[in-house]
Amino acid sequence: MKIEILFPEFCNIYGDYGNVIYLKACLPDAEFIETSLNDEPKFITEDIDLVYMGSMTEKVQEKIIKKLMPYKEIIKQKIEDNKAFLLTGNSFEVFGNYIEEDNKNKIEGLGIIDIYSERKMFDRYNSIFVGDFEGIEIIGFRDQFALQYGNNADTYFAKAIRGDGLNKSSKLEGVKIKNFIGTSILGPILVLNPIFTKYYLRNILGIENAEIAYEQDAIEAYEKRLSEFKDPKRTF
Amino acid sequence: MKLRFWLAFYIAKFGQAFLKLLRKNATYFPGKVAIKICPEFLKYIDRPKKIIAVTGTNGKTTVCNMINDILIDNNYNVLNNRLGSNINSGIASALLQHSNFFNKTKKDLAVFEVDERSSILIYKYIKPDYLVCTNLFRDSIKRNANTDFIVDVINAELPKDTVVLANADDLISCSLGKENPKIYYGIDKLDTDVKETTNIIKDIKTCPVCDEKLKYEYARYHHIGKAYCPNCGFKSPESNFLVKHIDKKRREIIVKETKKSYKYSMLSDSIFNIYNELSAIAILRTIGLSATQINNSIKKMKIVETRLSEEEINGKKVITHLSKGQNPVAASRVFDYVQSVEGNKSVILITDDCDDAKHSSENLTWLYDADFELLNKENIKQIIIGGVRANDLYLRFLLAGIPKEKLIKIEDELETVNMLKCEEVEKIFILHDIYKFDVASKLKELLRKKLNTSEGEKE
Ligand SMILES: [Zn+2]
Repeated sequence: MKIEILFPEFCNIYGDYGNVIYLKACLPDAEFIETSLNDEPKFITEDIDLVYMGSMTEKVQEKIIKKLMPYKEIIKQKIEDNKAFLLTGNSFEVFGNYIEEDNKNKIEGLGIIDIYSERKMFDRYNSIFVGDFEGIEIIGFRDQFALQYGNNADTYFAKAIRGDGLNKSSKLEGVKIKNFIGTSILGPILVLNPIFTKYYLRNILGIENAEIAYEQDAIEAYEKRLSEFKDPKRTF
Repeated sequence: MKLRFWLAFYIAKFGQAFLKLLRKNATYFPGKVAIKICPEFLKYIDRPKKIIAVTGTNGKTTVCNMINDILIDNNYNVLNNRLGSNINSGIASALLQHSNFFNKTKKDLAVFEVDERSSILIYKYIKPDYLVCTNLFRDSIKRNANTDFIVDVINAELPKDTVVLANADDLISCSLGKENPKIYYGIDKLDTDVKETTNIIKDIKTCPVCDEKLKYEYARYHHIGKAYCPNCGFKSPESNFLVKHIDKKRREIIVKETKKSYKYSMLSDSIFNIYNELSAIAILRTIGLSATQINNSIKKMKIVETRLSEEEINGKKVITHLSKGQNPVAASRVFDYVQSVEGNKSVILITDDCDDAKHSSENLTWLYDADFELLNKENIKQIIIGGVRANDLYLRFLLAGIPKEKLIKIEDELETVNMLKCEEVEKIFILHDIYKFDVASKLKELLRKKLNTSEGEKE
């Protein structure tokens, strides 16, 4: 199992490294490759089982788009070939068609997934999220400057139980195309969702009988949080 | 517009006088009302001739107090927002309070603590002559998002001729006011410095010119240190005020300026506080105080440590320390301090951020930005986690490699003391959130009982 972490010097601003820590604990035999922005991504030329990228600042989004643009067609093909990508926070925005800034300027995206983002630097969106992913309840924190728009009716990641989807009038969060998952849930999504993580390792990464680290402890923490998140008295 | 200002001015002014009469806090509300009535209130309210603004993620209150105390001690006629808030309404209240009924200020100099996020609403109207920045790190994710955002917010309305006093060892602060005149302060290489820090987060890792990974002549913690780019030659700026020597025994620091070096009494020996003291010295020297004037005042000062308390109970040292929730750098600094203290110790952790939890459920992303790994030490014998988030912290400690045998979690914070095995440790740390001062003192009370009776039982 080879896992590539893209641009960790930039894409690790909201606790995203928690996913890497947890993956390392769950998969002690896997090989982890950290690729810097000034290096060439390994997954382009090598057989990589999972490509992970976390949250970044808004300025960095442009650098990442510029970096990955030459590989656009290859990335599309990789997704077509069932390669796993996991993108948390605003990192999946760079795979969309464009990001519109406050001044209406449009930053062209990779155009790999059919959504676009509208960024409002003085209207930060803060929310907690509970959603359904193939019968598993996913919880997460969302704090973002941009919301997404577009039709993800057939390609969403999780259906909101509480909280919003791509934007305030959507109930469908994120994007899932084959084994490509992009979600605006921030940071340590894998640690916060052990049941999902087990499913992810077994059914998406295809590791038979994969076990997750500290399963009971992680589930205990998850269940307590889930009950808080579903408590109607708590506001979003 | 002018008419609206006068309306706001008199309503707020009378309101302030009235609140004072009732002995109520008049440091926030009047300014808020004034801005509500006249959104450009800060543009018209009279202000002292010279204005110093102090901002930054950590230490700005300490630095502001230091600057104020030294100025007042040297008979400067100064106003500040010390008792009020550090957002626009707090500054409006402070200015209002020190102006007469004809909107003429009675002061010559203002020192304002400015919340980073509020900069944009303040510098538009209040043009500081000097901006002192202590440091810029990742902070609350909801409010402050990321350091790129905060730098943009501060730069947005910063006047072009404001002199920026920045920490040379912090490349993020150095990026404030790109074209502005700059004065830098820093601390020279220390014995404790390393080539590369191991902290999880460094808010700047790459060269701002060419994106190459930065290297360090010496690194201190997180991104703090003297950096250079191996690719394009970019490097940290040279300091105009450089701490050349720290004498912990004599409690002195030597600060080198262009022509001469000066000796100052040291208020606290933590690096964080030396930076704080240095930034105060730098601004005061810049506006014309002599080193002797400054040092004489420093000698009379004492840092009021509200964040830290130490008490000896029956032969054991009990140390309480503030560990602000949601602030991974502050937490990591505290963990680093705990691990650096010699001797066998136990740690009680009560860091639930009730303020955040009040609105929904505490945001936990910061747990994976903070260096819990630092507490994975042989001489830390027990870590007891109290509060509703105990499960989450417990898991975080497990992932930091800390053995299960050392960990205890319990929801009732006051029960943590009962779980403590005191026999094998010399020191007990209580790390608590800013909203948990009361719980921390209750725990100390319980510890006093426990430690005194356990001794009694032995006899
Ligand atoms: Zn460079």
